[in-house]
Amino acid sequence: MTEQAILDAVQEIFRDNFDDDTLVITRSTCADDIEDWDSLEQINLLTAIEKKFSIKFKLADVRDLKNVGDLLDLVARMTA
Amino acid sequence: MAYTYLISGATSDVGRALIERLLKDAPEGTLVLAQGCGDVDKLAPLCQAYPGMIRPFDVDLSDPYKVDTFCQVLASTCPAPTHFIHLPALPVVNTKFKAFDEPRFAKDMEIQVHSAVKLCKAVLPAMTKAKFGRILFIQTSYTLGAPPKNTAAYVMAKQALGGLCKSLAVEYARFGITVNCVAPSMMETHFLKDTPDLIVQASAADNPMGRNATPADVVPAMAFLLSDEAGFITGVTLPVTGGSALA
Repeated sequence: MTEQAILDAVQEIFRDNFDDDTLVITRSTCADDIEDWDSLEQINLLTAIEKKFSIKFKLADVRDLKNVGDLLDLVARMTA
Repeated sequence: MAYTYLISGATSDVGRALIERLLKDAPEGTLVLAQGCGDVDKLAPLCQAYPGMIRPFDVDLSDPYKVDTFCQVLASTCPAPTHFIHLPALPVVNTKFKAFDEPRFAKDMEIQVHSAVKLCKAVLPAMTKAKFGRILFIQTSYTLGAPPKNTAAYVMAKQALGGLCKSLAVEYARFGITVNCVAPSMMETHFLKDTPDLIVQASAADNPMGRNATPADVVPAMAFLLSDEAGFITGVTLPVTGGSALA
């Protein structure tokens, strides 16, 4: 799966989660850029990503994610 | 003294642990009337360990007519319960309010709240006459302070039980009947089957004690509130949270 395909799928998940059909995310997007992105929303995002990509995160894997780029890299590693 | 315990939701992990606790070293004649729904086979090991002390009932509490029938069967075939412990609930789901599932909420209200009302109405007259009774609901630490997001249905049903608890507590205090709640934080049981692992792990990591609750943490608190010596404690919600939510 290409990074762009992962980004597109993750963007859809962000849009659904934050109720914003116009939301555009990039590798540098982080929690400071989206008002409602708190720790619980982070878990909701990760849970939706787990379902979408049929993967299972461990808490230790996701605690240090700093931005969407880190998240995309993690998904890419787990789906490779 | 031999007591009769009515436990709804008795087939749950907490219910079975509570039965074990109540029946261990219990005097002869002690009886547990144990309601489950489609899973009373889970009580088989306990029934074998405590022969004649557990009567299982398979009742769908989401159906008010079946709850009425259950109350009638209890009244006509069983000793009057001295203790009523109400545990049933649909598993908590992490759902944003925009996806609020009204039919599921209505079903959960039947299971948790309306059945509690009917069962309380069934057991309270005999308790009142005996001038003794213990009623205990299981609530949640989500009712203490600000609840986590995305749990509206669960929190509403549990708050309703809290309202019932307080109302009955003041109305029946003069009859020697106590009505209380325990409010555990996230408890690692089969009840969490629909909760994502990440939420469970994050809850454990965020708890001051570094872990989630277990039935072994909660059952002793329940046993205390059900005990004779807790007779002056009523209308309270006892947090069992490892410090993660404080009343």
